[in-house]
Amino acid sequence: MFSYSRTVSAILLLAMAAPSTALAQQLSKPSDNGKVNVSPDHLTLQVGEKAQLETQILNKDGVEVEGRLLYISRARRSVRVSREGEVSALKPGNFEIVVRAVLPGGRGPEAKVIVTIPHPKPVGIQLTGAPKRLYTGTSVRVTGAVVDKNNAPRKDLRVALSSSNKETMAVNAHGYLTAGQPGTVTLQAKGGGLEHNHTIEVIDNPVRSLKLAPSQEIARTGDVVHFKAQLRSADGGDIKGVPVHYTMHAAPDDTLGNGATGQIEQDGRFVAETPGLYTIVATCGTASDRFTIRCNQRLTTKRKLKKIGHGPVLDVHTSDLWVWEGQDGRDYCVTGTWGANGDAIFWDVTDPSRMERIATVTCDARTVNDVKVSEDGRLCIISREGASNRKNGIVVYDVANPRKPKRLTQYDDELTGGVHNLFIDKGYAYALSAGRRYDVLDIRNPLAPTRVGSYQIFDPGASIHDVWIEDGIAYSSNWRYGVHMVDIGNGIRGGSPSNPVKISSYAYPSGWNHAAFPWRNKETGKFYVVAGDEAFPHGLHTKNHPTYPRGWIHFIDFTDLKNPQEVARYQVPEAGTHNLWIEGNLLYVAYYNGGLRVVDISGELMGDLYRQGREIAWYIPTHPKGVVPNAAMAWGPQPHKGKIFFSDWNSGLWCVELVEDKGRRR
Amino acid sequence: MLATLVVASGLSAQTFPANVGTYRVYVACESADEVALVAFDGKEAKVERVIEVGYQPTEIEGPHGLTVGPEGKYWYLSIAHGKPFGILYKYRTSDDKLVGECELGMFPATMQISPATGLLYCVNFNLHGRMLPSTVSIVDPDAMVEVARTVTGAMPHGSRLSKDGLHHYSCAMMSGELYEIDAVTFKVTRNMQLDVNLPKGHQSEAKPTWISPHPDGKRIFAALNGKATIVEVDAKNWSVTRRLQTGKGPYNLDISPDGSTLVATYKTEGAIGIWDLAKGKERARIKSTRRVTHGVVISPDGRYAFVSSEGKNADPGALDVVDLRTNKLVASAAVGLQAGGVAFFEHKK
Repeated sequence: MFSYSRTVSAILLLAMAAPSTALAQQLSKPSDNGKVNVSPDHLTLQVGEKAQLETQILNKDGVEVEGRLLYISRARRSVRVSREGEVSALKPGNFEIVVRAVLPGGRGPEAKVIVTIPHPKPVGIQLTGAPKRLYTGTSVRVTGAVVDKNNAPRKDLRVALSSSNKETMAVNAHGYLTAGQPGTVTLQAKGGGLEHNHTIEVIDNPVRSLKLAPSQEIARTGDVVHFKAQLRSADGGDIKGVPVHYTMHAAPDDTLGNGATGQIEQDGRFVAETPGLYTIVATCGTASDRFTIRCNQRLTTKRKLKKIGHGPVLDVHTSDLWVWEGQDGRDYCVTGTWGANGDAIFWDVTDPSRMERIATVTCDARTVNDVKVSEDGRLCIISREGASNRKNGIVVYDVANPRKPKRLTQYDDELTGGVHNLFIDKGYAYALSAGRRYDVLDIRNPLAPTRVGSYQIFDPGASIHDVWIEDGIAYSSNWRYGVHMVDIGNGIRGGSPSNPVKISSYAYPSGWNHAAFPWRNKETGKFYVVAGDEAFPHGLHTKNHPTYPRGWIHFIDFTDLKNPQEVARYQVPEAGTHNLWIEGNLLYVAYYNGGLRVVDISGELMGDLYRQGREIAWYIPTHPKGVVPNAAMAWGPQPHKGKIFFSDWNSGLWCVELVEDKGRRR
Repeated sequence: MLATLVVASGLSAQTFPANVGTYRVYVACESADEVALVAFDGKEAKVERVIEVGYQPTEIEGPHGLTVGPEGKYWYLSIAHGKPFGILYKYRTSDDKLVGECELGMFPATMQISPATGLLYCVNFNLHGRMLPSTVSIVDPDAMVEVARTVTGAMPHGSRLSKDGLHHYSCAMMSGELYEIDAVTFKVTRNMQLDVNLPKGHQSEAKPTWISPHPDGKRIFAALNGKATIVEVDAKNWSVTRRLQTGKGPYNLDISPDGSTLVATYKTEGAIGIWDLAKGKERARIKSTRRVTHGVVISPDGRYAFVSSEGKNADPGALDVVDLRTNKLVASAAVGLQAGGVAFFEHKK
């Protein structure tokens, strides 16, 4: 190994600046069996240091010859090498630099240099969650991290915690501190050759009794029950601020090997997944109490989705849909097509049991992924991908008479990368551009759309998938950058279509954020953004075979816009989500291979709604002559006048109705 | 010898005539997210295999550029749309298995591997949105890592290397420029405006879409898509020496290994132009089998030109085969939607 100091580096740089001796000989082709000698072949550099490589090209006889040299780093964001062979250390790790001779006759011999850049030395230990005071009989969890001089955590180094006096405070292997007897104790943290001591005062717990009370004694699965622990001192006075530990014991009605059936949070919120008795135990020091509540089956009336009608599209894949009441009072629907002829199909769905295909428009595209209609039922905008001139963009139609859609104009300026999704709101169209932003187009004069604004996340690698507008707020879905709420006219941040202003955002680790729908729960006052995933870990089959996507619905509580919290999910096993819609307290999810799902989202939400029995009904759309036969791929739902319309990728347009399930299967 | 092998393998001599052997090319189908391997036996072109590509199944990711490595062991494919950046994929030619990938810039498009540096040079076409200067990604295909990016003009396209592999050429479609990059230092060494009129607001009227260095190393040919012109540039003096009037929308070019013939696709016209470079004359103009003609590659023996044709809407794409001895279209194979990038793989006699 070879280690360079900054001084050594400087000396070498000066040496290399001197002109080299001209050499007469030259390798002409790789078969000359030359060799590249590079010195040093191993380097150890600290972050920020530089070193110069010295290189020779030798012919098969070991004689130095002339030739051009190519220096390449295989991790240029961590270690850089100049065209002259100067190496710069940027980030810790082990890396490889290739030094290759470039010959007139082809690729020449090469040598490799291994560069080791050690992590910066640890300079401190940071503790998270360490209290200054701890009441006897209570516990708290503490975590520790070794940090370097840049205050960056050293993930390769672990921190071990211990107590200076186990009688006063015990520490377990998972970082839980439990206070024993009053006194002063030192929490000792060791890691990376460093030690950090944190003093904790353990004081006598004044709590002598604890009374536990739920917000309701009889609940349903999925109801969030709030337990409150009233703490009292020896003289009967109320005490606040002493932590309470909650645990749970479940006695489900179904005793046949049932799994975990409920969830208790340390703020006292509880939710049951299956019917039964649930005993919540709260402890604080030596005081404790327990309370048993009854949780019943949430849905007492069985309901199902009954097929009303099917508008088959069996020759090409169907994409999104939009249902609206036309200017003539009849009901219409438009559906897009995917990987085909650039068609959008118009339907009369006034009688959904006999949906009538009334018109087809064709634009220069392969996929019309999204379709939207203005609030007054006059304008329809469709997205284009795969245009022959690669300009894509959107096309605007007058659909005052949906039987004869009239093409008004197209708009593709700066939308050339393909418009995947769009929205229409109060005379403005919101069109995704290049997977990076949405542009706001003024279409109040639909013959001459103009771009008035755009919204883009400028973080590295940010990408967008969808945008939805409600009450002057745009909700965009941005894969790993999650949901962004943007004021485009609501007024909360002074935004407008021409001046979109970010309100808040939330991202989750999977990076699967594909759709978002806002929902304000009138019962609880909670404001959620319901975010859907899209993921194909097992691929997608466009023909012959069914597809098995994955993903779920995320419920993000945005009630506090500055502190959004992901509080619940709806996850159907072995299936994957696509688009969603919320009306009243019902969530409609096109769950791809899981078909259409209807979910009760009333009340406060916590945990997995699927396991809590909140799912009301499902419908699996299949057709033996579908593009993929007998394979559901529900794409997007939309409730309309008491019915639920949805598109299916393999079989077209469907209409179903939520009805009581009387148990008849035929 | 070949006849014996054909009989022994049970294949009819009609399918694989002994006189020309079998040519194989890869064709990227941009709106189908697939690549077709097409075999041509002198009479008939057939799709032997279709390889599904990409990772976002419900979106058109747009496989665009194709090249086969110098040793023929791997083929490389650029995919235009990612989240948001495009990706370079590496496949094994023996079984078309994916063996590596590397994220590049916005809409990576055409590319080639230098025989001198061993590196792959791919233009980031950045078709999307605003017409800003874009880049050429330089990739180490052994490790599939991007080792550098060189800034060039707006919408760079037509990434091609000089025969010795020491100079990279591309054109910037929207700023109307020809760029030369030193393949070893990765620095732009020269650039020139290819149009007689300067572009206004990054909207070149000439719209150069392709560059083809001549095998003699002295000339570079550029297709001016917006001006129905092919220009010849003197590589030494760095000046335009000839302007050849073509059919509508010249798009891609290739030059025969002996340097005598240039084949141009006329995208707008849906045709193929065959040029005698010595005379500066169009020898023949042939209609493509589809409406939008795209890419072209000439076999190493100079006998055939393989031309991709996009079609429109639900029309399948096509790979047309032109016999450069007779200047006739001799075969065509239907492939997936919007056939674009085309790369020569092998000629087995």
